[in-house]
Amino acid sequence: MRRVSMIAVLMIMVSLSSFPALAQDKAETAAECGMKFAQPVLISSAGQSADVKLVGMMAKRMKLKAEVKVMAKPEDLEGMKTLIVVPGFSAKGLGAAGISQKDEMERVVALVEAANKQEIPILMIHIGGNARRKGQSDAFNELVAKNSKYMIVVEQGNEDGFFTELSKETGVKLETAEKIPGTMKPMKNLFE
Amino acid sequence: MTLEKKHISAAIILIAAAVISIITGRQFLAKHYPETFYPSPGLTRTGKLSDYFSGLQGTENDSRVYFFEGEEEGSTVLLLGGTHPNEAASGLVAVLVLENVEVTVGRLIVIPRANRSGFTVNDPMEAHPQYYSIPTPNGERRFKYGSRLTSPLDQWPDPLVYSHRPSGQRLSGFETRNLNRAYPGRPDGSLTEKTAYGIVQLIKKENVNVAFDLHEAAPEIPIINAIVYHEKAEEVALNAIFELEMEGISVSPELSPSNFHGLSHREWGDYTDVYPFLMETSNPIQGRLRGETSAELIVEGVSPEYRMALESGALQIAYKETGEPIERRVARHVTCFRRVIEAYNQLGNKPVILENLPEYEDILQNGVGAYIVAGK
Ligand SMILES: [Zn+2]
Repeated sequence: MRRVSMIAVLMIMVSLSSFPALAQDKAETAAECGMKFAQPVLISSAGQSADVKLVGMMAKRMKLKAEVKVMAKPEDLEGMKTLIVVPGFSAKGLGAAGISQKDEMERVVALVEAANKQEIPILMIHIGGNARRKGQSDAFNELVAKNSKYMIVVEQGNEDGFFTELSKETGVKLETAEKIPGTMKPMKNLFE
Repeated sequence: MTLEKKHISAAIILIAAAVISIITGRQFLAKHYPETFYPSPGLTRTGKLSDYFSGLQGTENDSRVYFFEGEEEGSTVLLLGGTHPNEAASGLVAVLVLENVEVTVGRLIVIPRANRSGFTVNDPMEAHPQYYSIPTPNGERRFKYGSRLTSPLDQWPDPLVYSHRPSGQRLSGFETRNLNRAYPGRPDGSLTEKTAYGIVQLIKKENVNVAFDLHEAAPEIPIINAIVYHEKAEEVALNAIFELEMEGISVSPELSPSNFHGLSHREWGDYTDVYPFLMETSNPIQGRLRGETSAELIVEGVSPEYRMALESGALQIAYKETGEPIERRVARHVTCFRRVIEAYNQLGNKPVILENLPEYEDILQNGVGAYIVAGK
């Protein structure tokens, strides 16, 4: 009987330690882990959602030396010290850019590969919540998350622990914010 | 004997057919009576779409236009409800605004029933109700629930392929009756194209600066809880969305594709000087997964089938556990409308100041009925 309860306690402990919400509490924030990104910054999209424009607006408000190029290509990385990628699929956005989903994926793969090759660190900022999850978004989310050095995610987009799992898998640090304006603080910390 | 029996059954069938025809005929005719609205004391004048394009005179779509003009000069805003008459919150928000608003600076123009013809019918095969009711402190107020498209009685037949003018874009034939595929419209086109033309003429002649086209969509449609904007209005849209986020109202920014024609957010922006915004909320009765289809579903927005879909996690849908009630959909539209205008003002444009409109939380708590007249 005692052995059974001991096993139960152990099992609870093991499952608690792997519980995403608790694991997240232990994750270091940008300030704690001392990670820094440098400027100038190229901000681009992965999936052509207009979320990238909102990140651009926040960067402007923070007075970051940043340039938004929704359709950035490898050559746009020249002189850049950081690449911010805002993942999220939008059919309207693809229409606005006049490209297909396949074209967009190829563009993002090329951009990410070029950044890796030139050792330009990638910061992923996912602000679109549910609207930029699952469906056609997750392929972009996963690609960017796996190639980033740091992830800032608005909580609604991580309700199922999707980014927490990716963070555990890759060791890439994840910091969440309750709402979109809340991503400005971690962004600021990373560039200070 | 057998002959008599035959006569009796024939007579019964005839009488039954006549009774059914009379009942349904009366119901059908009733949908042609215009709804009554009760504009706020801020109303300064009314007009009709035919004031801008005489070709609409005498048609079902000679919609009424309401003007609210401030004492101080400023910019002009247009609010369009009922582009798609099956998107209840759209028409309801326009009514709520016109029955409350006071304008102190600038002007607001409201067209609550943009495609009036669509309010006289329902979409076939959908089992949609003809009306829905909003409870108010002084009794129920009934509104027409209509079709996405212009009535086939007003525009028939549909071509096999709808060729949009002037772009030449080709869509399914029925889209020829979709007002939001008809812009910029044509004076010598179909009734839907004429309606679109009239609205564009109004935007031009009244020098409208900011225009809103309100919509709803099925929870599984990807463009939902979104503001679709023309590229020239991007800064206004992003600033508004940022403010909305601060208040905890999530809105997806969506840039209008330049190659998708006939839509308000594209053609209003391309053919006039206006900043166009199209806004969407989630309306379960429009969705393919809904079960029982009733007027309650329009108002309460509770669908066990969508809840199952949500819990399965297999779909990307805009449906909350508690449903998508009309209060929240209306509150969203009203708040997005206000924040876009505020962002426009803050960016140094000639302002428009609207007063006496309820806040998001007010509408959630008090219900839509607290802000509309009970009616008769
Ligand atoms: Zn619509």
